[in-house]
Amino acid sequence: MPVDTVVAFETPERVVFRHAVAGPAARSVAWAVDAVIQVSALAVVAAFGALLGIGFGALGAGVAVGLGLIALFLAQWLYGAFFEWWAGGRTPGKALLGLRVVRADGGPIDGRQALLRNLMRGADALPFAYGVGVVVMAVDPRQRRLGDLVADTMVVRTARSRLASEHGIVPPVTEAEWASLPPRVVLTREERQVIVGMQQRAAVLGEARLDELAGVLAPGVTARTGVVGAGPWRTLQLALARSRGERPVDPS
Amino acid sequence: MTVRRDDPAAFVAARRARWERLAATVDGAPPDGAAAWAGLAADWRALCTDLAEARELDLPDDVRRWLDGLAARAHDRLYGHGGTVQRGMFAWVRDDVPREVRASGAYVLASAVLLYGPMIASIVAASASPGFAEALMAPEMLARVEAMYEVPISERSAAENAQMLGFYVMNNVGIAFRCFATGVLAGLGTVFFLVYNGAVIGTVFGHLGRVGLGDNLLLFVVGHGAWELNGIVLAGAAGLRLGDAIVRTGGRTVAGSLRAAMPATARLVGGAAVMIGVAAVIEGLWSASPVPGWGKIAFGAVQAVVVVVWWARGGRG
Repeated sequence: MPVDTVVAFETPERVVFRHAVAGPAARSVAWAVDAVIQVSALAVVAAFGALLGIGFGALGAGVAVGLGLIALFLAQWLYGAFFEWWAGGRTPGKALLGLRVVRADGGPIDGRQALLRNLMRGADALPFAYGVGVVVMAVDPRQRRLGDLVADTMVVRTARSRLASEHGIVPPVTEAEWASLPPRVVLTREERQVIVGMQQRAAVLGEARLDELAGVLAPGVTARTGVVGAGPWRTLQLALARSRGERPVDPS
Repeated sequence: MTVRRDDPAAFVAARRARWERLAATVDGAPPDGAAAWAGLAADWRALCTDLAEARELDLPDDVRRWLDGLAARAHDRLYGHGGTVQRGMFAWVRDDVPREVRASGAYVLASAVLLYGPMIASIVAASASPGFAEALMAPEMLARVEAMYEVPISERSAAENAQMLGFYVMNNVGIAFRCFATGVLAGLGTVFFLVYNGAVIGTVFGHLGRVGLGDNLLLFVVGHGAWELNGIVLAGAAGLRLGDAIVRTGGRTVAGSLRAAMPATARLVGGAAVMIGVAAVIEGLWSASPVPGWGKIAFGAVQAVVVVVWWARGGRG
């Protein structure tokens, strides 16, 4: 099987959408964040226990040790299972890193899967520092550890991209510019993708840098198509607009 | 310049409001009422059409990613629930777990033999000679165990009881879960932990019996023993099931074999978790209480019957 960080799912509507698989690095960081939260929670329990010990003597101390051990047990075995069941596949650490546990077919996990994959930490963590887990992740095309394999889950990135507000040519093409364009412009798919990608980053790059980058591609495009704008960047954008203008207009 | 259908900016602008409405529905609370669900379904179908068209356009990466993410979340919302019949937790424990115990009877039996066999053998061996216990366990461990059961449990202080409860939960649940998880090492981890823990438990019993503290231990564990030990048996059965799925894949890939074994494994290990939970509750509330010995033995016998009836009869019509 090919190794890729993107897994595609096809829905019954014949729509394919993709999940980006999370690797060991991001998952280790999420684990560390969760560990800090667990240790902090245990510290609070310990502080509460110390108060019990001070306030109630030997009985308080006994209760405190008992509570502490139960808290340790909950943190060790059920923290992950609880949050992944309750918060849609996210522990606080995973949520912070934009990670999420999903079923192998892309759906949300249920309680048994959350329980199984977290109990399996007992095997993944062997012999130390998740040695088994990391080796299994390295071998598996979807970077799953044993717990994921047993529970039929995987960890994906869900970092939400924003839908940017403007992606067209800015400022809009003027009548004069449109009139100056040749009747037919054909760009390759790569050229169109480069220009669209630059439009997307236009606000970040700035005019000067855009012209500098466009200067690599623009002379060739001008020579081939005859499109000339005010500066290399404008040239590329006009070429893109004209190339689209060649497509048939939908009657609707 | 007219708005062209193959102009990405126009494509996005024309559909933006509908996408954002769908995103708000999908990311917010579940839709309430038939009309809201119908609206969600309509928006979802429209999005599917848009995605198919979008593939033919040179959409910017961020729009593509955003649409992929929206499709995934909408799909979750519509199809993500567990099935048409949602079974309650209680019905699952009452019916599904015991059915699985019977269906996976061979694994449960093997697990029970691996735990109880060494346990009985070491009870016999440790009661007969002091050398056995000393060979198997460190002297300081034996001394600690003796100190723990020096006085009848009912005479223990409340402080000690609270402390011990925490220790039992931590230790015993850890044993059970490790029995299960290490089953993934072709079942060998499970076999090791079952035999090892059986031997240790048996040795402690035999040793304390030999030095005359057996009653103290017996009266403490008799109330919750049926839940605790058989919980470990179930966890072990789940581990063996897992190991078997890895060794005998039946023509599947290892991952596929694990996936096929997943529901059965989950029922066994879930049953184990429930049993150990029950054991902890009994341990905390009952086992250390000053009830006379015959009462504790009677209670323990009832618990054993409950477990047997649950496993044997639960989920049958």
